[in-house]
Amino acid sequence: MSPTEARLARLRGRTPPRRHDARTVAALTVNPACARRALMDAAGVDKQQLAAHTGYPAPFGQSQFAITRGNAFEAQVKDNGAAQLLTLLREILGLDITEAHYTDLNEVGGNQDSELRHVYTKQRLTAAVMGTGTMFDHPLLRLDVAGRYAYLEPDLIAFRHRGTFHIVEIKSFAIVDEQADPAKVAATAVQSAVYVLALRDLLGREDAVHHETILVCPKDFSNHPVVAKVDVRRQLGVLRRQLTRIERIDELLALHSDELTFDLDPGEDQRPRRPPEELANAVRTVNASYTPECLSACELCYLCRDEAQGTSGALGKMVRADLGGIEFTRQALDLARGASPGPDREEVAGLLVEAARLRQEILGET
Amino acid sequence: MADLIQTLERRIDRLRVAVREAVLAGDGTRAKTLRAELREADQAWEAALAEAELNRTEPPGLSRESQVGPDAGDGSSTQSSLLPLREQVYEALSLLQVPAAPRLIATVHEAFFATAFSTTRVTSLRRDEERSFRAAPFTRPYYICSALIADFLSPARALLAVSTWPMESRVIGSLSPRVDFLTAAIRVAEAVERIPGPMPAARRLLWRFAASIPGAAHSSGDVHPPTIRSAAEAELTVHADADSRTRREAAERARRQLSDVEQLFGIRLKPAGRAAGAVDGDA
Amino acid sequence: MSLLTALARVLAAETGRAQPIRTVRHVHLSGRPLVFIPLQLAGEACAPLAVLVGDDPGRPAMLTVHEPRDRTQRFDFAAALAEVILGYINSYSTVSTAPDQPYPDAPQLLVPNPQGAAFTRLLGRSTRFRRTDGEFAVKESVPLLGRWLSFYAERMEVPAAALLVPMTTVLADHWATGQSAAEDANLAALLGWIVPPPGMTGAAAARAAEDPVRFPPAGPATDPSFDNEVLEPRIRAVRAARVTGDGGALHRAQTAMEAALRTQLEPTWELMWRAIGLLRTIDEGAHVAERWQSDCWAFTSHVAHLRDGGFPQPRRDGAVAAAARLARLERDQQRLNVQRAYDDPLVMAEYRLTGEAFAGTVTEAQSDRLDTTGKRAKLRPWIVVETAEQVSAAPGTVLTCPARPGQAAEIIEVAPAGDLTHVTLQLSGGMGRALVPLPGSVPAAGETISYTTLRDDFQSAPRFPDREQTPWTHGGPPPEYVPPVSEDEAEDIA
Repeated sequence: MSPTEARLARLRGRTPPRRHDARTVAALTVNPACARRALMDAAGVDKQQLAAHTGYPAPFGQSQFAITRGNAFEAQVKDNGAAQLLTLLREILGLDITEAHYTDLNEVGGNQDSELRHVYTKQRLTAAVMGTGTMFDHPLLRLDVAGRYAYLEPDLIAFRHRGTFHIVEIKSFAIVDEQADPAKVAATAVQSAVYVLALRDLLGREDAVHHETILVCPKDFSNHPVVAKVDVRRQLGVLRRQLTRIERIDELLALHSDELTFDLDPGEDQRPRRPPEELANAVRTVNASYTPECLSACELCYLCRDEAQGTSGALGKMVRADLGGIEFTRQALDLARGASPGPDREEVAGLLVEAARLRQEILGET
Repeated sequence: MADLIQTLERRIDRLRVAVREAVLAGDGTRAKTLRAELREADQAWEAALAEAELNRTEPPGLSRESQVGPDAGDGSSTQSSLLPLREQVYEALSLLQVPAAPRLIATVHEAFFATAFSTTRVTSLRRDEERSFRAAPFTRPYYICSALIADFLSPARALLAVSTWPMESRVIGSLSPRVDFLTAAIRVAEAVERIPGPMPAARRLLWRFAASIPGAAHSSGDVHPPTIRSAAEAELTVHADADSRTRREAAERARRQLSDVEQLFGIRLKPAGRAAGAVDGDA
Repeated sequence: MSLLTALARVLAAETGRAQPIRTVRHVHLSGRPLVFIPLQLAGEACAPLAVLVGDDPGRPAMLTVHEPRDRTQRFDFAAALAEVILGYINSYSTVSTAPDQPYPDAPQLLVPNPQGAAFTRLLGRSTRFRRTDGEFAVKESVPLLGRWLSFYAERMEVPAAALLVPMTTVLADHWATGQSAAEDANLAALLGWIVPPPGMTGAAAARAAEDPVRFPPAGPATDPSFDNEVLEPRIRAVRAARVTGDGGALHRAQTAMEAALRTQLEPTWELMWRAIGLLRTIDEGAHVAERWQSDCWAFTSHVAHLRDGGFPQPRRDGAVAAAARLARLERDQQRLNVQRAYDDPLVMAEYRLTGEAFAGTVTEAQSDRLDTTGKRAKLRPWIVVETAEQVSAAPGTVLTCPARPGQAAEIIEVAPAGDLTHVTLQLSGGMGRALVPLPGSVPAAGETISYTTLRDDFQSAPRFPDREQTPWTHGGPPPEYVPPVSEDEAEDIA
């Protein structure tokens, strides 16, 4: 284990590292400025557990209905040698009629060990050029994220002979009248981009994996699948940049005491024993970069939000921008009431005074 | 009795709130304990209500006699067969003549034999059959067994086959799922042609096959068995040779290297080592 | 978003209560609106689970789909919902009115949030093409409901429209809370800031409202812990009872499921009516009635369209229609902005901050000044307005005084005078036809007055080609409209 890995392990404490998956890797691209999140994700901290133990349980949860529906739809298109999927892929990739191979990579000889599956995946995908593979079900890819391997499992990889590999993602949100929820498509695009990176890594070649990924969704209000291409070049750029940043986690670590740890001190029953306030203080020693977007993206959001009370950022990026970048609401209020502005603040101070005066004139209040 | 029911209802509501709070607070252990309590309270409530109804003089609503079992959560039809499950599965597989997944088996059975069963019961069938075979090999005329993945001769995750079929039919190469799908389409089309008035379920099944075979759609827009058959046969000729080669080679290997029970139910790759006959490179 | 609103948020955070950012209500509020609160099953495109709907706060109608994936039940639900909603709509369209006049009032749908409006749109889309004959027939009221819901949802695109209104949007438009806009999307939290319970700060009330157990989400999405711990067992019980054919158990299971869903709907119902009451305490802006008239017209023509057997809305616009619609929307937005500023000094204040408007005092007024340069003399009074505010408009710009909309004021000169500015304006119009102005039509010395560059230009619509002449760059003329068959009729929905 390298010194960095050892340091990260100490930071994490006695819990096993949280395994990265495509969703968490994709989430790294949200709020790259947050050091707190970067350190936690690099160390594999279970942010959900940590948040709960400090008294700020995250508001995230998944409905069984959504999970079941997603699984059912995926199973449906992969049924019978992926018959429905093959029909769609033939149409969108122009597959030759001979290209109908189906390779199940969910397990290797009945064994589901990740290492094994990864090796087998690599074998089968590399051999695909010899005309023995078209559709690879649940291949297991790997991506190095801050010195640890994240095992990534795309729904399917399609290979067009003498052509390239395409990542295929099967989602259960609907495409209605050729339009889908933009937020969901965007989230899928980043996830797919993670897979593209990982596959390119595995094959050792960029041009072997197409930047156009395939999205399979239910059509309108039925279970009938429909297919669309999603270009992920932009997402690839963002990901590559962010993953490079994570590689420089040493620089971040150097800013903090070697003693710092987010250890939960689990007892025999696995329940955390570390005093919550002490843990929260440890968390607070690492700078966060809270914005309201965190409320839908990161399990620590409530803790960081509490901490950010009194900042203009907590009220939103636009509010902060409207206030000319003034960091604390207290400052803005003082300026509005006539406090003398520092350098660079004269213009916004003038506007704030004017704004307060206008409100006073119209509403009769201060 | 009414008091008991009300008390139980209040308790259930309180427990539901408590479970949700535990989940939201991230306390998985507590949530689990509370869920168990909740289940008990729910059962007590159901029992109390049932008893209360028995004591009432008016008859309850539309009740019907039925013998369907407890796993009725999937909305399957209530008509049940007198045959044991293994025989129903055998009926369906015999029609298809190729290894198939529980869902297809159940759909075929509903379409052609008019009774349905839940897929969850089917998945546990294979385990029961293996136990039965090991206890007394070959004592039954047939066994519902696995299909084996050619590379490792391990059991294919979701496929069932019949033990009396030749080994070649029971091994799966990379083209076999497609080949078997096309073969199944042909069999189902033939079955529909044989029956004077096929059930809507049969026509729906045939429709689903047709939607995934190029050239199988008829100009009338309706399901047309001869068109489906010829379309399936046409694509089959493209894959047949390559698939047969793979299957033959794998079958020979299986007969050579595997015991009787392994030939029916496959072998599993152990974590640290490799099973006999594991493939090094390209097939 | 503006500095004024940002300051209001900061003030709210400090005082612990939401701060008003409008002095009048800019959205029409019906005397008898229909509150519509839908819940949908997670993971599906549009699988209604239950709704609470009604125009009487004391009598909500609750509709439930016991098996949300069952096609028949889904369309039975749609038919039941159609009875309520179409009944409500008809109460407005069966009022007698002159042939060339709009109905005096129009039905208004209020949903908790924008996602509720999106659900309405999808529900409309999923029902309006359904066939009333054939193997998968639905009741006639179902496609009719679909067309109405689609009409309401599409009308939302019009900036000035108020036929379908999400409550969180309206509230957030009139109050600034001490939290972020993202958090304002929670109706309970938003109302917590605006009207906190006695003894609680807005912040504390909003925080408490984030607990989904005590404050169920306003929908259409349900809380996942509710789904997993409460709803799932109840749906399972309904299914089990259906399969065993035990009528008593089925009835009990259905009742229990409805009771559970009711707990997720009733609190939002209360909040909606509380919000309506709150909005009614604010006076309407001067132009609101005029905008509502447009809505009444739109409602009236849609009634006529349906009565005359018009086709349901096509799935996508042709290119010409899309371009025309975009231009119209931009015009409407501009007009709306101007009207809001004219109606509301707090909105005008935003323009005063940016220099697009100023307020001051008239220091001089030559009310009888004539312009004799042309063939005939024209009345062109000059006034000088002294203001302490920023004036960013240049000479030659034509300004308007909100209190004198029919009068144009051209800037002749902008002259600094110490800390102040003197703006010389030449007035025309709004003074009568004589060469002597009507009394009071010219601002007098000493009067407080404000001027703005904001004008409703009433630009005429750009000329668009007829649909048959859609240029090839836009895909050529659209194909003749053929009412589409719903392809997914035969599909099991799940």
